[in-house]
Amino acid sequence: MTENSQRPVVNRRKFLETSAATGVAAAATLASAPVGAAATPTPRKRYGMLIDIRRCYGVHACSVACKAENGVPLGQTRSWVEYIEKGTYPNVTRSFLPRLCNHCEKPNCVSVCPTGATWKRKEDGIVVVDDDICIGCKYCVHACPYDARYPNPVTGTVDKCDFCIHRVSQGLEPACVEACPSRARIFGDLNDPESEISKAIAQNPVTVLRPEKGTQPNVFYIAADHTDERAPTVPNQYVRVDTHRRQLERR
Amino acid sequence: MNVELFWGLPVVLYLFLAGVGAGALTVSSSVLLRGGGGPSGTHVDIARYGAFLAPLPIIIGCGLLVFELGSFQAGNWLKWLNLYKVINLSPMSIGTWLLTFCIFVSLAYAYTFLANPPGLGKDGALRLRRPLAWVSVPLGAGVAVYTGVLLGAMPSRPFWNSPILALLFLMSALSTGVAVILLARALLHPAKDEPGDDGRAFHESGYLLTATDTVFIGIEMIVVFLFIMFAYLTVGDVRYAISVILAGGDLATLFWLGFVVIGLVLPAVVELKYIIPRLLHHEEFSPPRGIEILVPIVVLVGGFMLRYIVVVAGQITGPVGI
Repeated sequence: MTENSQRPVVNRRKFLETSAATGVAAAATLASAPVGAAATPTPRKRYGMLIDIRRCYGVHACSVACKAENGVPLGQTRSWVEYIEKGTYPNVTRSFLPRLCNHCEKPNCVSVCPTGATWKRKEDGIVVVDDDICIGCKYCVHACPYDARYPNPVTGTVDKCDFCIHRVSQGLEPACVEACPSRARIFGDLNDPESEISKAIAQNPVTVLRPEKGTQPNVFYIAADHTDERAPTVPNQYVRVDTHRRQLERR
Repeated sequence: MNVELFWGLPVVLYLFLAGVGAGALTVSSSVLLRGGGGPSGTHVDIARYGAFLAPLPIIIGCGLLVFELGSFQAGNWLKWLNLYKVINLSPMSIGTWLLTFCIFVSLAYAYTFLANPPGLGKDGALRLRRPLAWVSVPLGAGVAVYTGVLLGAMPSRPFWNSPILALLFLMSALSTGVAVILLARALLHPAKDEPGDDGRAFHESGYLLTATDTVFIGIEMIVVFLFIMFAYLTVGDVRYAISVILAGGDLATLFWLGFVVIGLVLPAVVELKYIIPRLLHHEEFSPPRGIEILVPIVVLVGGFMLRYIVVVAGQITGPVGI
C-alpha cells in the first residue's frame, strides 16, 4: 500500500525521458564507482527496533517506562514482556519476549481501517493512529496478528505503540529503549546502513514474529524463543506463556 | 479461554439482523421480479411482507453497531460519522456505504408497497416498484455477503479468514430472510382457511417459501461441511482454530446442537415432511399453524447461533506460534 503511494505517476513520454536519464546516470555511476547519497533526495527513514533477548532479564522497565511516558490507561499495555517457560525439571528454561507494535512494512491494521485514521508514515515508517479520526470500531485490533492494539477506554479510540513519536521526532530514543537497564533494545533507522541497528542486524542472526503472516515486521529479535503454548518445540513439551497483560493468552 | 472479546453481542446481533433484513429484501424483490409483482401477482403477498420486514432489522443492526464503537462509549456520540468522510478498500468502509444505500433503497422499496403512498400515488408506486426491486437484489445480496467479508479479511483471525465464510453468511441470510417472511405470514395472515382461489394461492406461496427455505438450508449444510472439512484437513492456524467447534472444543456443543441440529437439520426435516407430498404427489401444502410458526423461529435461532459462534470462535483463537 505504501509502495503504491510512493510510486510516482509515470506517463509514456516521461518514462522514456527518465529511462534515458537513468541510462546516463548509470553510465556515470559505473565510471566513478563510489557514489554517496548526495544525488538522492531527502532519504526516507525506516525506523525499527532490535531486541537482544540474550541481554533481557525481564525487569519490565520498558513496560513501566512506556506506561508512564504515554499515559497508558490502567489494565492496558502498549509494550509488555512475556515469559516463556518450557521443559521439565531439571531441563528447563525461562526466556523473555518483550513485545510492542512491529510497525510492519505491510500493516494489516492499516488496510482494514474504514476511516483512514491509521496509516504508515512515509517519512519514517511509523504506524500511527489519529485520535481525532478514529471511531473505535476495533477492526484493526482484530487485524493485527500481534495483538499490539487495544481499545483505549479513556479516549474511545484504538491505541498502540508509536515508537514514542513525540520523543523520536525530537531526536530522543523511545522510552522503552532508554529505560532498558541491560541495553537489550536498539532503536534506529534501518535505511541507514551505518546506524547501530543496521550493523547489529547485519552481524547477527535475527528473527521476526509470525513472519508467515507476511506483514514484514520492523521489530527484530536476537535469540528469541519462538515457542508457543500451542506450538511446543517438541510434542508434549511443557510450555507456559505468561503475557503479563490483561490479554492473558496469546492469540 | 482467558481472552478478551472486543466484539460482543451488539456485533453478533448486527450480523444476524443485517442478514435477516438483507435476506428478506433479496427474497422479496426476487419474488417480485420473478412474476409476483403487479396488483394481481400470485405471490405479491410474499413480496409485500419481505419489503416491509427488511428495513427495520438492518436499521436496528446498524444502530447496535454504533453502540459498540469505542468513540460512542467514550461520549463522542456523532464521531461515527467519520465513516462517511472517506471511502477506501477496507471492507468496513465499503460495507458502511453499502448498508447506507441498502437502508435507503429498502425504505423506498417498502414505501412503494403502501396502499396509497402520499406523494407517489398508487400508479407511481407500481412504476417505481420494479426498478427498486432490481436494485434491491444486488444490494441485499451485497450486504449479506459483506458481513462475511468483514470477518474474513484478516489473516490474524484464522477462524474467520476463509473465503467460504461469506457464502455461509449469504446462505444463512437468505434462509433467515425467508424464515422471517414465513413467520410474519403465519402470525399475521388469518386467511389460511379461505376457500377457493385465495386459499389455494395462500397455500402455494407458503409452499414456495418453505421449499425455497429448504433449498437454502441444504446449500448452507454443504457450505458448513466444506468450511469445516477444509479447515480440518489443513495444519497450523486454521486447523487449530476450527478445533474450537469440533469435538472437545469450547464451542462444540453450541455449534453442533445449537446450530447444526436445531438450526439446520431440524427445520430441514420438518420442512421436507410437508414439502415432499406436495412435490411428489401434488397434494395440498397445508402444514398446521403451529409448525408454520415454529419452523421459522428455529431457523432464526440457528441464524443467530451461527453468528454468535463465528464471532466468538474467531476471537478466542489466533495464529499458532509466535
